[in-house]
Amino acid sequence: MSNFSLSSKSAQNVAVMLPKGYINDMGAVSLERTSEQLLGAGMSTLIVNFSDVQFINSFGVSIFSGMVQKTLEHNSVLYFTNMKKVHRDVFEMMGLIKHVKVFADEEEALKFLKRKRKYVE
Amino acid sequence: MSNRKLDLKRLMFSMASLVDLGQEATSSKDLSAKMKAALYVITGMFSVPTAALFVYRPQRHDIELLVDKGHREKALQGTAMPIRAEQIKDLRANYPHSTRDLAKSSFFLQNRDILTKLQTKIVLPLFVKGEFVGALTLGRKLGGAAFRQGEKEVLRVIAHQMAITLHNARLFLELAQRAAENKRLYTSMQRIYHETIQAFAAAIDAKDDYTKNHSYRVASYAVAIAKELGWKKKDVEGIYIAGLLHDIGKIIIDVKVIQKGATLSASERTEIRRHPQISFDILSKIKFPWKNVEKFVLHHHERLDGNGYPDSLKDSELSDGVKILALVDAFDAMTSDRPYREKLSLGVAFREVMRCKGTQFDEKITHTFFNLLSKEISGEVKELQILPHLQNMDMSSFKAIASDSSM
Repeated sequence: MSNFSLSSKSAQNVAVMLPKGYINDMGAVSLERTSEQLLGAGMSTLIVNFSDVQFINSFGVSIFSGMVQKTLEHNSVLYFTNMKKVHRDVFEMMGLIKHVKVFADEEEALKFLKRKRKYVE
Repeated sequence: MSNRKLDLKRLMFSMASLVDLGQEATSSKDLSAKMKAALYVITGMFSVPTAALFVYRPQRHDIELLVDKGHREKALQGTAMPIRAEQIKDLRANYPHSTRDLAKSSFFLQNRDILTKLQTKIVLPLFVKGEFVGALTLGRKLGGAAFRQGEKEVLRVIAHQMAITLHNARLFLELAQRAAENKRLYTSMQRIYHETIQAFAAAIDAKDDYTKNHSYRVASYAVAIAKELGWKKKDVEGIYIAGLLHDIGKIIIDVKVIQKGATLSASERTEIRRHPQISFDILSKIKFPWKNVEKFVLHHHERLDGNGYPDSLKDSELSDGVKILALVDAFDAMTSDRPYREKLSLGVAFREVMRCKGTQFDEKITHTFFNLLSKEISGEVKELQILPHLQNMDMSSFKAIASDSSM
């Protein structure tokens, strides 16, 4: 049985996803599928909060590669928050970090987004 | 992080991923599920968002899409790329191939549309001991960086692993197909076998109008008792066959003796009593898949008190199978018209069997048979095995006598 679960919330074209557990098998594919659905529903920003993620392997990297690709295709942006160093190192090594913005926590990401929107307006 | 340290980390990550790949490839999932999982591991190793795995179909000279990742799945369903022997030969050297390297190859030119649709940057042919089994295509890396030499080496290892998995799956599938075909043939042969035996039984019974369907009824009654006693399926089949063939020896007994209406002379009795031994002699030449068929047949005229034939065996020497056949053969003879008398009523036949219980017929077998018949008459059991053969017989006399008996 997969040791993975996912919850998400969204408001004003921003979706926050909270994966929990191990991102290391097909059980975690719901993360990629959910992000596609959210992008399809018009979300311009996806925030992934890593605080409850315990383990990421190549399987997980594949899922996040897919998410990056789909986000780019939708002209949306992907933010990562609450990352442990070990996870950040994996993403850096695999060249994923260049395609996302990393924040210390969700609040910081949302503040950044607010400032960005104000600037655009 | 220094380049050396980064390379070391990448190497460690690749090794861990190869272990993950091995676990996915040898998992108990079905082929598509395990290959899909393997695609995730592979694409994760190189940060490639898209990939596809094709399986070679030698009869069709093409490779068919088995699983993919990162594409709109429905649009790719049923995708296949033609590939000829010389194109496979071209792919064998120096793989993995970038699409840039392949740009002028006939394989690429022929399948350019599909490869472009798949966003292919790398084509990895899959071989097991020189045999082509499929191909893996990978899209461009996130950020567009080229595959490094070390990564190409890892891809070759991956290709080997995926090829073995595909090859084993194909062998397994072939075995499963062969097993299914063998099973179909076996069922068909079994049906022919049964039909042949039934034809023999019909031939035996046809020798005498009075014994028409006798073997079939004996077989059916015997099966009913055997099932009620909890016999295994194969043993039930055995007694069914013994029931059908128990009188096969009558085929060479003079038809005048068989059809004689009056009392038999001593020599005629001797003649007719030869039939169990003749049946045995005929059947013992056949290697039946069921145990004891010929022995059941040989002794179906034995009695518990030792006054039967051909071997005058006694109770303890008689198997349940013999005791079943002895009872149902006699019961059917009683409840059928004979040249020398009309059939007995069910009640009279029941009383006659009960009278001979302990001397001619076994008590357990007798009770099992009549209990089952009672249950069929009263509607306690749904599957009727005896009653359908006793049509036009008065059940009321049996019910009255059976309820009064100590059965």
